[in-house]
Amino acid sequence: MTVVDRTPQGGPPAQQRPVPGPQEAAGTVPESRLPISVVTLIASVGVLVASAAYAAGRMGYASSPWADRAYWLGQALIVAPVAERLLSRRRLSQGGAATLVVVLTVAEYLLKVCYSPLSFTFTDELLHWRSTVDILQTGKLFTVNYGLPVSPRYPGLEEVTSALISVTGLHIFVAGLIVAGVAHLLFICLLYLAFWSFSRSYRVAGIAVLVYNSTPTLDSFDAMFVYETLALAFLGLAVLAAWRTATGRSGADRARWFMLAVLAIFATVVTHHVTSYMLVVSLFLVAFAGLITRTGHTTLRVGALAVISAAAVACWVIFIAPGTLSYFRPTVVGLARGLEALQSGSSSGAPSTSAAPLGNQVLEGIVVLIITALLPLGWWQVWRRHRRHPEIVAMAIGSLAWFVALALRVGTPDGQELAGRIATFVYIPVSLIAGLALIRLVNAALVRRWESAAIAVAVAGTLMLLFDGLSNGWPPYWERLPGPHQVAGFERSVGPEEIATAQWTLTALGPGNRFAADIGIYPLLIGYGDQNPLQGAGYLYTTRTFTPAIARQAKEQAVQYVLVDQRLSQSLPASGTYFPGSSTTGNQPIPIGDLTKFNQVPGVARVYDNGDIVIYDLQGARSAP
Amino acid sequence: MRRNYSDIAIAEAIAILGCVAFFAHLPGPVMLVLGLCLFAAPGYVWSEVFLSRRDRGLERVAVGTGLALMVPVFGGIVLYAAGIPLNRTAWVGVLSVATLVGAAVALITRRRRRDDPAPRRPARTRRWSAWHAVAFGAAAVIAAGAVGLAVVSADAQKYSGYTQLWLTPLPGQPSRASLGVDNEQGGATQYRLVLRRKGRVSATWTLTLANGQTWQRTVPYTTSFAMAASLYRLPDLQDPYRAVDNGAALPGKPAATPSPHPSGTHS
Repeated sequence: MTVVDRTPQGGPPAQQRPVPGPQEAAGTVPESRLPISVVTLIASVGVLVASAAYAAGRMGYASSPWADRAYWLGQALIVAPVAERLLSRRRLSQGGAATLVVVLTVAEYLLKVCYSPLSFTFTDELLHWRSTVDILQTGKLFTVNYGLPVSPRYPGLEEVTSALISVTGLHIFVAGLIVAGVAHLLFICLLYLAFWSFSRSYRVAGIAVLVYNSTPTLDSFDAMFVYETLALAFLGLAVLAAWRTATGRSGADRARWFMLAVLAIFATVVTHHVTSYMLVVSLFLVAFAGLITRTGHTTLRVGALAVISAAAVACWVIFIAPGTLSYFRPTVVGLARGLEALQSGSSSGAPSTSAAPLGNQVLEGIVVLIITALLPLGWWQVWRRHRRHPEIVAMAIGSLAWFVALALRVGTPDGQELAGRIATFVYIPVSLIAGLALIRLVNAALVRRWESAAIAVAVAGTLMLLFDGLSNGWPPYWERLPGPHQVAGFERSVGPEEIATAQWTLTALGPGNRFAADIGIYPLLIGYGDQNPLQGAGYLYTTRTFTPAIARQAKEQAVQYVLVDQRLSQSLPASGTYFPGSSTTGNQPIPIGDLTKFNQVPGVARVYDNGDIVIYDLQGARSAP
Repeated sequence: MRRNYSDIAIAEAIAILGCVAFFAHLPGPVMLVLGLCLFAAPGYVWSEVFLSRRDRGLERVAVGTGLALMVPVFGGIVLYAAGIPLNRTAWVGVLSVATLVGAAVALITRRRRRDDPAPRRPARTRRWSAWHAVAFGAAAVIAAGAVGLAVVSADAQKYSGYTQLWLTPLPGQPSRASLGVDNEQGGATQYRLVLRRKGRVSATWTLTLANGQTWQRTVPYTTSFAMAASLYRLPDLQDPYRAVDNGAALPGKPAATPSPHPSGTHS
């Protein structure tokens, strides 16, 4: 089978039609031996196996290699059959390709649910939980969120969840899962539709979505109950509507899609800052590609949408969310310093390698090489077949961002974090270009002779891409399986004891108190406690006595309460640091005397004690003599 | 050409029923089903407005879903700007109005597009076999089982039990404090709570709390002299199990919580 593709050398968008391959047209392409229903069944077994691995982790086997292997086996069962069906040259209908995309997305989302099935445990989810509760309780938008002050100014996610809770009576956790799950699936389906619309090949679209699944943040940040998850769905709709605006058959069609695009743009702007900026960039890029490809109508129509989106973003930032600028200032400053260091060839101070295990780093390196190798082949395909198609040319230009992301990763402070977060957007053009390259490889005459082996290699390569995304994504490798409490970790630092403590702070102390706390309970204090935990308050925990200097520093920081988890004296921090906003890595547990010194400080009240966690009221404190 | 308007009528009925159910306080399951339908209805009717009959399948579903998600986003902003609180009544109103208005606009646009022919659907050459249906059904059951396993295992995950003790001044009433105990040990537990003022016992309570049970009292509070509460877990009356104080005890307040490190204990 030849890939269903557009007319060679491109052509005016209005004339773009899917061109079936000769074998497919003649009905000579053999059926796959793996029906899509069976692929779905295998994927569900994969979900069950990985869920069993999670259950083993909860039963105390989180460190067991067998539990770890079961998790990866489950992932392989989900991904491999889908990859085989998309990459093989057997018959695949448009509905079949779409079903495979849906099966893959739903299976991975179910695994996310299985990881944390009773409550939100991820930091950002807890922050948005807080904003949603505030809207439900006060009936107002733009409330205060101490952990993520900028987020209430982008209330789309919380509005949708509040509405769903209000009309159904669902619990906030269930409603949040539904909203996040629907938005995530919608984004992937829209991505598939956009890829299909651009390439006119559902197989290319399916493979591109498969490659996109290797984005490290896709099954975590982009599927969680966070504002980006919903905004991505609106971005996908805006891009699709923009394409239909440019290529619509009639004026009425184009007008309707234009209105839809404008609505989707506004929804994106209201929901998430970075996603709306990326939407502006994408639309301008397509308009620019229209100039290169001499498709004036694309430049005009998509350019108009780009201008509207830029104006909407500017208005929202100026009039509604001016705090966005200060929110991004540290990131921009760090980025600028890193790029400056890159240019001058000096060290930016960024770590040259990640702290992940060697296996993860090797996998990451291989995947970087694979994608870097696929991109030139994809660009060649763009030049050969699609150079008059503005959307694909825009994707080719956008895929250059891959190298920018690589430079960020190695050259800037927090480069890993930053590169990981922008991967959501960078992988969109990269996936399509890599998809074009992969389909070219699979269809190569040489490969056709060795079809089974070639497909096996392609599936193995795809598995590596996806496993890299999972292993270097979220949760981190040391929390891949749920399990017992970990000191200063993330999801595994959230348990009933910590939740009860956070809830107690709200009930007994009221909202908005300035807390010093370790990184493990920090998000819970914001989410369930509605408190204002501080960054950079680690100095309170690392001295033997409460000296006048520390008392002065605490007063300057207006610290009201100190939360002391005595387990900090028993374990090293799982995340590498005990306290938020602190770069000091814990090389040894904190001496217990440093933690309990507040017991001797005159005026410091010990207001709460649950055995592991003690809360001190510092407001009457006088330093030790 | 005759047109079928039953879908629009159903959407309108959902909007009206949603309002009725809300004001009639119907049972939870009915509200759940109606609420989900009401949440989706605006997306459906507005997708009928925006899409032509040629737009089919996944694209139609995606646009409808996207519009359903947009309605609360814009509706919430409009309500907020109008000074209307975003409570249940407001949300039911927004979704119902969006559905009814969308249905009216969809009816008008459909009539205008009367001559717009629907695309000819390709003849279905294959039908789903029973085996495929069974496989999809089995997949759904297995996936549901996986989620069920996760819920059961998370619910059964063993955490060490704990007991909370607190002594905090009441907000706005600095002369009174909340003294409380919460038992989360996993079973009924006996305690003795001793409240001391100036180092002397002023009150003692013997408590038997079931798992999850909370005991709480309001007590007079001051910071001008030492106040401390010690909780003993019976039968041990030697070492306090939990301890709190008002910070006025000088010097060397007792650290009641047993510490794994001897250096952490205080006399």
